[in-house]
Amino acid sequence: MKTFRLQIITPDRILFDGDAVQLTARTTEGDVGILAGHTRYAAVLKTGVLTIKLENGETRTAAVAGGALKVSDEKTTVITTAAEWAEEIDADWAERSRQDALHKVEQYKNEPDRQERANLKLQRALNRLRVSGRDPKVTQNK
Amino acid sequence: MANLKDIKRRIHSVESTMQITKAMELVASSKFRHARERAEAAQPFFNATYKLMAEIAAEDPYFNSQYVHKRMENGAVLLIVIAGDRGLAGGFNSNVLKMAQARIDEVKAQGGNPIVMPIGQKAVDYFARHEVKVLKAYDHVAEHASIYLAMDMAELVLQNYERHESLQSVEMVYTNYVSPLVQEAQKIGMIPLENLAGSHPRNCAVEYEPSAEEVFDRLVPQYLAGLIYGGIVESFASEQAARRTAMENATDNAEEMIDSLSLLYNRARQGAITQELTEIVGGANAQN
Repeated sequence: MKTFRLQIITPDRILFDGDAVQLTARTTEGDVGILAGHTRYAAVLKTGVLTIKLENGETRTAAVAGGALKVSDEKTTVITTAAEWAEEIDADWAERSRQDALHKVEQYKNEPDRQERANLKLQRALNRLRVSGRDPKVTQNK
Repeated sequence: MANLKDIKRRIHSVESTMQITKAMELVASSKFRHARERAEAAQPFFNATYKLMAEIAAEDPYFNSQYVHKRMENGAVLLIVIAGDRGLAGGFNSNVLKMAQARIDEVKAQGGNPIVMPIGQKAVDYFARHEVKVLKAYDHVAEHASIYLAMDMAELVLQNYERHESLQSVEMVYTNYVSPLVQEAQKIGMIPLENLAGSHPRNCAVEYEPSAEEVFDRLVPQYLAGLIYGGIVESFASEQAARRTAMENATDNAEEMIDSLSLLYNRARQGAITQELTEIVGGANAQN
């Protein structure tokens, strides 16, 4: 299988730097799949799931908190403010931050700016829970 | 002759000061190591964001974003000033505040209107004393700064830039870490992003979703947040390095002082013994 050079960069670290067979990510326009030899392309990423397939057949999944994707001839770059591999996610922490976010959404009902921010936080927490394999609905009523 | 007791007391006092400076030196060097790692880890993210934006600006011939246009002169200038939360760090705080003040004076002289956003207790205190308009003040955030905090700051800055046509530019004054011994106060321009669009226009077809401007504008907050975050962690590393050096010097000075005081003490002790002996001998002689 043909591979391409992929970099996933966050402010605290480089999450991935190596060759991949396939990249799937969620952009504002919908899901995109990138294979080797893709045309030059740039898009805005939403908070969502990112999946890469490696040459040895392994598939890795990460939670991504929005950012940008750029495909150029020499490499593909994902720049995001936060990203974790599924196995790294602390589901308990994500659950706590989900509840905190829910609380804030309620609390800032009359302040659109802050409520918007709480909503984004809620999305990130839900995304992490989803990627980590814990269904948010199960824990919702605890 | 110097009083033995006085000298002893002074030695004690210098010794306890030295203990403090020594401890501060150790704390600063351990914090410095962490801060340095953090600053280095943030570098690739910032570089990649910047590169992507420069590419978009250069590659798309129809590119047009509100963030690259120069606005009229003599408007308001927003200055983000990053200083430390604590003192005792050599010239660290005063250097950066001096540079900020120089820029404020310059803006005023040109008929503009300076506004500051201080980060760090020392900067907050300084501008509270100097009657400069403050947009929002942040203290005690540097040590545990996160990208989300920087995103909040970037958002606030951008909101103001979008709402106020009179806001001419946004600049940041921070301390650049050069080496363990050298840290330099520095001023950089953040908005407008002038030099971006100027870099060699190449005409290659790139597909943008939804559009080049959209991708670019979505990157701007991330870019600004990266800059601010970088400025905060870089300044924090500089602060720790400066404090370590200052405390190292203070410890050395204290050691020197203890040495010379000990010499003085020993001399005084010797003198006292000699005098006592002379008195005894003198007394014995007088009895004969």
